[in-house]
Amino acid sequence: MAGWIVIALILAFSIYRIKNTKLNRKIPLIGIISALMIVCMTIPIIPIAYHINLSVVAGIILGPAVAFISIFIVDLIIAMFGHGGITVVGLNTVVIGTEAFIGFYLFQLFMALIGRDSIMWSSGLAAVISLILSTSILIGVVYVSQINPEIVIGIEEEHPTEAANVGNVPNELVKGINIKSFAKTILILLGIGWILEGIITAFVIKYVSRVRPDLILPERA
Amino acid sequence: MDVAIIDYYANHGKSFLHKAKAFWKIIFTAMIIASIIITNDFYLLLGIYIALVTIAVWTKLPVTKILTIAAYPAIFALIFALASWNGSWLRAGVIMLKALSAALTMVILIVTTPYPDIFNVIRPIVPKIISEGLFVTYRSVFILLELTDDLIKGLKVRGGITRRKYINNVKNFSSGIGLLLVRGFDFSEKFYGVMNVRGYGGKISSDNTKTSISRNDVIALIIGILIFAVSLGAVIEKSLLEFSVYILVFSAVALVISSIYVLFDT
Repeated sequence: MAGWIVIALILAFSIYRIKNTKLNRKIPLIGIISALMIVCMTIPIIPIAYHINLSVVAGIILGPAVAFISIFIVDLIIAMFGHGGITVVGLNTVVIGTEAFIGFYLFQLFMALIGRDSIMWSSGLAAVISLILSTSILIGVVYVSQINPEIVIGIEEEHPTEAANVGNVPNELVKGINIKSFAKTILILLGIGWILEGIITAFVIKYVSRVRPDLILPERA
Repeated sequence: MDVAIIDYYANHGKSFLHKAKAFWKIIFTAMIIASIIITNDFYLLLGIYIALVTIAVWTKLPVTKILTIAAYPAIFALIFALASWNGSWLRAGVIMLKALSAALTMVILIVTTPYPDIFNVIRPIVPKIISEGLFVTYRSVFILLELTDDLIKGLKVRGGITRRKYINNVKNFSSGIGLLLVRGFDFSEKFYGVMNVRGYGGKISSDNTKTSISRNDVIALIIGILIFAVSLGAVIEKSLLEFSVYILVFSAVALVISSIYVLFDT
């Protein structure tokens, strides 16, 4: 629920940011980039349980505000196809949208620092760094979701938690996962994915910048 | 990606769920999703999953295909369950079943409801850019799948994807994605332009968006309410969980009877 509230606020802000932009050009671009992301996200690389997101490509081409809208659409559609959880559309959008957001600004920063000839390095590095940051957010979200609110507000002693009662209800989900083990596994598996995504982002952006430079460096919201 | 198959199933099915209106099916879906969220009991979740397989049988569509489509999140759920392993098999089972059941619920909705009907139901509650984006994205997926087919054939014929040349393959494949993006954008822009010229104003024509209730809608609603009521009952009164095995057996029996009936009926 928290994810849905956060994403509703972000979407409201994004829509406000682009209110003066002509939609005639943006909607086909949202459509094709979202479709491309959907196709890539539904092809898992089985041994590492990773799929290409193209979120940084979306961020660089659409700009951060429109990219959030595009990523929300992607998450909603893949949830409808049973490829992603409908309940976590909000959180997924926050995490993947953050990649696009950070990726866009890092790309701009690297382009300014290294120069415009380094479009491949700028986009590749931006992708890898933003993926590292978004994975950290993912681990943080999983960690926070395991915290028992009753412990936080100090009423656990009066009302024993579900975990404490687990002996009476043996089939019930015991709250609390092994967060260290989770973080370790995710970082090892996704590490390979980050590099792959960085390389793919670099080549995609290089290709688009040669063929349609107007898509990479236009006015953005 | 099975978008074309899903689209075909949604438009050519003849079951009661296909005949039910999109609005009521979304309510039905929401109730089952809510049940999955609030249920943490392994046997009850397994019962819900089997009940969903039974509903998939009632759609009279290829059940194995539907289950395969809905099994995609299992890969990620399995990784999550193993990565966060705390020694409990039941907990791992609960994680897997939650992912599988939620996915199957959504797949049942999408294989029994054409996408314009779903988008039309959610259109009034989302901003214009999102509703139009949803429609154009869905249409673009089809454009892209066609282009991807051509691209892969082209890459293979010209030696763009060859064995043991991994760096070259990644490079060519990535440039291929760039090509898809540029060509897809051109197609998408033309498609959207043509739609606007023909008077498209954000609304997609559909006969299935009325909220008046029919017999098929009532059946879908009753199933949704039943599943939700069982889950809610188990949450409110924990002692009811003792009966979760009976619910599991009941679901299994319903599945067997339904499978036999549908097999002989078709």
